[in-house]
Formats: sequence, structure tokens, C-alpha cells
Amino acid sequence: MHILETHNLTKTYGDFTAVSNLNLHIRKGRVYGFLGPNGAGKSTTMKMLLGLTHPTDGQVTIDGKTYPQDRVSILKEIGSFIEAPAFYGNLTGEENLDIIRKILGLPKSSVGEALDLVGLTQFRKRLAKKYSLGMKQRLGLAGALIGRPPILILDEPTNGLDPVGIHEIRTLIQSLPQQYDCTVLVSSHLLPEVELMAEDIGILNHGHLLFEGTMEALRLQAHAAGFPMDNLEETFLAMIDADNRKKGGAR
Amino acid sequence: MTFILETKKLKRTGYLPAFLGAGIISCAFPVVNMLARSETFTSLPGNPFEILMDANWQMMAMLNILITICGACIMYHTEYADNGALKMDTLPVKPIRLFFCKFLITAEILAAIILFQIIVLTGCAVYWFPDSAFDFLTILKTAGFEWLVSLPTVTLMLLISSMCKNMWISLGAGVILVFTFSIFPQDNFVLRLLPFSAPYQTLSMADENVHIQLFCMVCVLQTAVLYLGETLYVKARRYLA
Repeated sequence: MHILETHNLTKTYGDFTAVSNLNLHIRKGRVYGFLGPNGAGKSTTMKMLLGLTHPTDGQVTIDGKTYPQDRVSILKEIGSFIEAPAFYGNLTGEENLDIIRKILGLPKSSVGEALDLVGLTQFRKRLAKKYSLGMKQRLGLAGALIGRPPILILDEPTNGLDPVGIHEIRTLIQSLPQQYDCTVLVSSHLLPEVELMAEDIGILNHGHLLFEGTMEALRLQAHAAGFPMDNLEETFLAMIDADNRKKGGAR
Repeated sequence: MTFILETKKLKRTGYLPAFLGAGIISCAFPVVNMLARSETFTSLPGNPFEILMDANWQMMAMLNILITICGACIMYHTEYADNGALKMDTLPVKPIRLFFCKFLITAEILAAIILFQIIVLTGCAVYWFPDSAFDFLTILKTAGFEWLVSLPTVTLMLLISSMCKNMWISLGAGVILVFTFSIFPQDNFVLRLLPFSAPYQTLSMADENVHIQLFCMVCVLQTAVLYLGETLYVKARRYLA
């Protein structure tokens, strides 16, 4: 069952097409790795999934609901982390999460749980603007995870984290579907990380979806096309390179 | 609920101290003015409260407009500085509701400041014109009128601030508007109705020209139109993003 789908999703800015006829199918309770080089359209797609950007054409369906009529109902089910950590620097970590908690109508205990989940409990009284980059990233993640939403959309969640932090977040994301019956859409440039945590993969280049399916299906397709299969990074680079060559050497 | 959350967001931003400071300075102005040159005003014929309004309100209204500009800039700088606004956009809350609550907060604080300003002016009138009679209903009406004619300025400044991620642009736009409208001729009725110009009007000035109701209606209409402008901007932002 697909909890999140896009139907010919397209976004154009003047004569530039950021996302073109994208058809994503994300299964319930899975971790979906969304890959693509810089400027491929990943963040634009994620913004459309959150209703931050209106698509030029096509539609997003989340748990049977669509934008813009079901916006509030959809956003109640989604925890998100887009582009960079988003918070109020003049408030403490705890106060930031309390604002989100009140909007979502969650119990008070959810703030402590979220802080605990990302390892920020001892820094909860510190102003968010005084957090280190990694701590801000964790606060952003806590804002997405608070209340255990059924769908998580995470754009580069491990940016700015040290190797220990990356490992912790990866383990956390991996455990979410089993622990909370949660569906996760995660984009990352760290391909080995995605390889370790994602069960399904979508590869985007120049706004077009080059591949969508399981890791196993990706290996089979790579084998058939003669791409290297040693690891996801090799396969990804070969796939992007072949697509760029096909489109006339454009990067 | 949203109103309380919007109030919480202003914690440690300097918003309340800024309004408090501006309120104290504007309330001190007529007192200092009377202490320095009371003979100039006590010798004038007419209603003492109106004399004091005519002598002081221009400066007090200017301070009210300037603090409104600063307040709107602080509010939206807090939203944009660390992407708080982006987080709000991904939560199940209507962006126009956030704008409305910011408007309510500013309007409420401005109401308190204007009320204190009018109380101080009344106090000055009672102290320096001891033999005069005062119509306290008219004084209250003055406070209400000055608050109402300030609302379009509040809404326009919040609209400008919501559009500018860079606080310096909204601050600059506000300051330019203040000085642009202050050089417009005050005898032109249409120009007097505009935001940034209307707050300088006093009840007695409007009363002389039998324009009180018209002033009030136009200001309410302007506020509603500017609010609608923000609604359209919020929608357009999604298409342009």
C-alpha cells in the first residue's frame, strides 16, 4: 500500500523545469531513500510534498488526501525537516518544541521524549541560537519526530553531524518503521548512509526519476545495464553519468 | 492558542521593552513640553485638552508609528532569522492566522500606549489648567479614535515585514514611508486618510471637518483590505516558491 504518491508532479520556474512528471510511490512502513545530485529537484519535490510550493502540474496524494484542500489534515500526519534546521533562536530547545507540541495538540511528555530521542535533554534549557551546528540539526530532527508522526520527510538530516551523530541518527531512522510504524522519506548525499538505512530507493536527475524500487531491484537493473554494483555510490554515479551523456553531456 | 504562542515567540526579542521605552518617552514628551513652556499653552484660548493635543500629538503619533515599524520588524525578524517561519509553514496552522495574531498583539500594545498617552495629556490638562472643566467621554473617544486611525499603519507595516526576509529592508521601507507621508500637505483630505498619515489626525481636527465617521470607516476598510492583501500574498508565495 502506498501511503504517499505523486502523479506527474511538475514544477517549472519560467523556462526551467525543476521537477518533471514525477511519479513517486512510497510504501507504508518503509524507509525510502531519495537520491540525486545537487539541483536534481529533491528539495523542490519535498517542498511540494509538504505544500510549501504549489506544483505547476500534477498532484500529491498522502494517505488518500490532497493539497490544497486537505493541507492542515495532511500536515498533522507529517513530521518534516527541510533544507536546514528551522527554529526560533531566541527560545530554548525546550520552548521551541513546546510551540510545536501545542500546535499539534500533543501531551507535555512528548517534548521530553523528542529531546531524549535526539540526545538534547541536558541542553534543553539552552537558547537554540547558542547551539552548535550539530545540536541545531538535532533540534530540527526533534521538531520532526515529536509526537511520532506516521510520515517523516527528512531532507539531508545528517548534515553537520559528526560521525557519532550520523550513526545515531541513522540507527534512529532505521528503527522508526518498526518502533512507531512510521514511513520515512529521506534524502541524503551520504550514499553509504542511505544504503544502510533505506529499503526503497528513488533516484532523481534533472527533475526526472531515473529509478524507483527496492535495493535489490536497483542491483538487478544496474547489472542489466552494465553499471558497477559494488556499492550504491558506484551504481548511482554510473547511472547519473549515463543519463547526463544521454542528455548531451549536461551536468 | 495561536495568540498565546505568538506572544511566547516574542520572548527575549526586546519587543516589549521597545514598546515600553517608546511609551515612556512619548508619555514624558507632553510633561517636559509643559514644564519647559507652560505659559505658551496656558495663555491660549479654548479647550485645554485640545490645546495639549495640538501641541504634542504630532510628536507622540510619530513615536507611535516608529515603534509600530520597529515592532513589526522585530516580529518577522524572529520568524525569518533561524527559519522559524519555514517550520510554521510545515505545521498544521494557517499562516494568515499567525499574521492576525501578530496584528492583535501589536494593536493591543498600541491601545495600551495610546491610553496612557491620553491619560498623561489629561493629567497635564488638569494640572496646568486647574479651573477648566473636562469632558471625560470626549477624552475616551479621543483615545479610541487615535487607536483606530493607527490600525491601517499597523497592518501595512506587518504586511511589509512579512514580505521581507531581510529586516533592514522592511525597516528602511517603514522609515521611508514615515518621512514621505510627513512631507505631504496636511490640508489634503485624501492624503490624511492614508496609513502613516492618519495617526497624526486628532479627534478635534477631524471633528472640525465633520469627518470622524468617515475617518473611522476608511481606516477600518483600509485595515480589512491590507489583511486581504496578506491573505493573497500567502497564497501567491506558494505559487512563486
